[in-house]
Amino acid sequence: MDFRVLIIEDEIQIRRILKNALEDEGCHISEAGSVKEGLRQVGATNPELIVLDLGLPDGDGIGFIEEVRTWSDTPILILSARFDEKDKVAGLNAGADDYLTKPFGVSELIARIKALLRRKPRLEEDVSPLVQFGNCSVDFSTRTVLREDQEIHLTPIEYKLLAVMLSRPDKVMTQTHILKTVWGDSYADSAHYLRIYMSHLRQKLEENPSQPKHFLTEIGVGYRFKQ
Amino acid sequence: MADRFSPLQRYFLTALFCMASAFGLTFFADDLDHANIVMPLLLVVLLVSVNLGRDCAVFSAVLCVSLFDYLFVPPRFSFAVNDPQYLVTFFVMLVVALTTAHMASGLKQAAADALKREEITQALYKVAKDLAGALTGSQVNEIISKFVLEQTASKSWIIETQDNKIVRDEMTKGSPFSIESHMATIALRDKRTVNSSSLNGADWASLYVPLGTSMRTYGVLSVSNIENPQINLRMIEALASLIAITLERLHYAQVAQKNELEIVSERLRSSILSALSHDIRTPLTVLVGLADSLSMVKPSLPAQALETSAAIAQQAMRLSNLVSNLLEMARLNSGEVKLRFEWHLLQDVVGASLQHLNLALADHRIITNIPSNLPLLELDAVLMERVVSNLLENAVKYSPKGSRIEIGAIEHPSDIEIYVLDQGPGFDATKLEEVFSLFVRGEKESNKPGFGVGLAISQVVVKAHRGNIYAQNNSDGGGSVHVLLPKGMPPELEQEVCA
Repeated sequence: MDFRVLIIEDEIQIRRILKNALEDEGCHISEAGSVKEGLRQVGATNPELIVLDLGLPDGDGIGFIEEVRTWSDTPILILSARFDEKDKVAGLNAGADDYLTKPFGVSELIARIKALLRRKPRLEEDVSPLVQFGNCSVDFSTRTVLREDQEIHLTPIEYKLLAVMLSRPDKVMTQTHILKTVWGDSYADSAHYLRIYMSHLRQKLEENPSQPKHFLTEIGVGYRFKQ
Repeated sequence: MADRFSPLQRYFLTALFCMASAFGLTFFADDLDHANIVMPLLLVVLLVSVNLGRDCAVFSAVLCVSLFDYLFVPPRFSFAVNDPQYLVTFFVMLVVALTTAHMASGLKQAAADALKREEITQALYKVAKDLAGALTGSQVNEIISKFVLEQTASKSWIIETQDNKIVRDEMTKGSPFSIESHMATIALRDKRTVNSSSLNGADWASLYVPLGTSMRTYGVLSVSNIENPQINLRMIEALASLIAITLERLHYAQVAQKNELEIVSERLRSSILSALSHDIRTPLTVLVGLADSLSMVKPSLPAQALETSAAIAQQAMRLSNLVSNLLEMARLNSGEVKLRFEWHLLQDVVGASLQHLNLALADHRIITNIPSNLPLLELDAVLMERVVSNLLENAVKYSPKGSRIEIGAIEHPSDIEIYVLDQGPGFDATKLEEVFSLFVRGEKESNKPGFGVGLAISQVVVKAHRGNIYAQNNSDGGGSVHVLLPKGMPPELEQEVCA
């Protein structure tokens, strides 16, 4: 991995671990200890990925994400404490791409960062109309879903939900985002629709619907599709 | 002027005045017409009634008529009357004199009353001002005692109530007289003034006035031995409403202060918890990170060192879980956490939990047995996931590697049962309920990691969901924990029109 990564974290120890781990992977690291310094570094180093701690001393990580999103779509990975589901959702809704809960394993961190960086160039090419996961394959050009070569019938909403989930593999999507995209703005508060339809998808596409491998629940936050 | 003399002296003065005037007039008896002699005599009656009161006025009226008859009406110096038409004069003179007497003395009384009322109003006004500055109940009591003593020469005491009840010992401590608590209770209950003159004189309070506003009653004002009840009773009642308003003000000031205190301490507690959470999590994150980075050192460390670093990371994670449980417990117990109830599928919650515990469950066979047609449940998914994770972790902790752990759900008529079943040794049969108390573990002196926090917090969460949790041992060995959650009324789902 030869990427420029900006780490915004006020704890020097954690910053050092992140730095070492990512440098081992071949990344170029710049660091910041505050939101203010972070914004300056974004301008100075033009990073390809930002790791942002939400609990910074000079305040508002959400504000930082919103500010960066006005002119850049650099992937942002949030680090936060386990309790703060609300903060995570706010961060993701503001435009962050993923989150990690402290404490986290370094290998988990690397995997998330790789997924975020892998996704980026894909936006520039044509997205492949064919997606495969588990024993299923989806062909968006013909709108067909196959499971072990058997065609699976999906309702229009199920298909739409599947398309939204598959559009950003490995990325956590907040339930508000999915609801708005699939059902429309007026359904933003009807989360139970999403849950029911997600369970339909699992019934139809997962090997073991109660121990899903692909349509994962991020409790209190949303869902994640894993290929 | 009337007050300066005794009644006898007043009658004497009246007689003296009337006689002096009448005898003085005899010098003019020949020059003046009888009608003009009557006039000065009526004036005398008027003067007497203004100055010496009603009784003397009546006396002077009769006396002046008699003197007029005796001294002026022919035959003079005799009560005999020659001309019967003088009877008309006597009669008119008497009526005019009595009427004058009555009205004049009434006027005087009215003026005196008005003056007294004015004084009371002034005094009430002053006491209202004093009460406005009062900061405590005892200050109010002091101001009132002084006022009542000055105005009526009676002793008084405010009986404060607690929750609309008179607490006998507390409230009457320090009172200047004995209190008939039965009468005070009647005053409080019926919200009316109770006055018992039979208690007058003794060292008892005889008048009980409730201190109520439209909102509630704050106490009873007790007064001893009241004189002149017509005026003073009204004053005391006016005073009572002043006291009630003051006590209400003090009450709300206290409530406001308490609320502010609670808000401040709530905020403090919350910030302590989040600071604690942050402060503990930071070194744990560092610890996990450092251990992980050891395992990534190139060239690779010897196998033993790798194992050690993995164990460090694992233990740090475990510690983090424990801290999370404890902090969550503290937050739940402080009542700070507002549950975010939403309609969820149990599969989602269990799925997320299995995913979260992924590695920890690797050594066991996990069986899920959740009916796919289970209705939606109203729950706080984050907290319920914590419950499911705790139950699964416990099952893992207390059952042998490779054994089966089953998590499932059963639909009952009014609730849903979630259970986690393991093949471990089960629970100590005598401690099936105790396991949910904080810091009780399944085995004594066990070397298994973990406090009883997991089950304790599970119970707190389940109770917050109006549910129930219990443990039991099963006939085929192994223990199970069951959670019952009420079904509620799941929202309707619009059916999708299938194309």
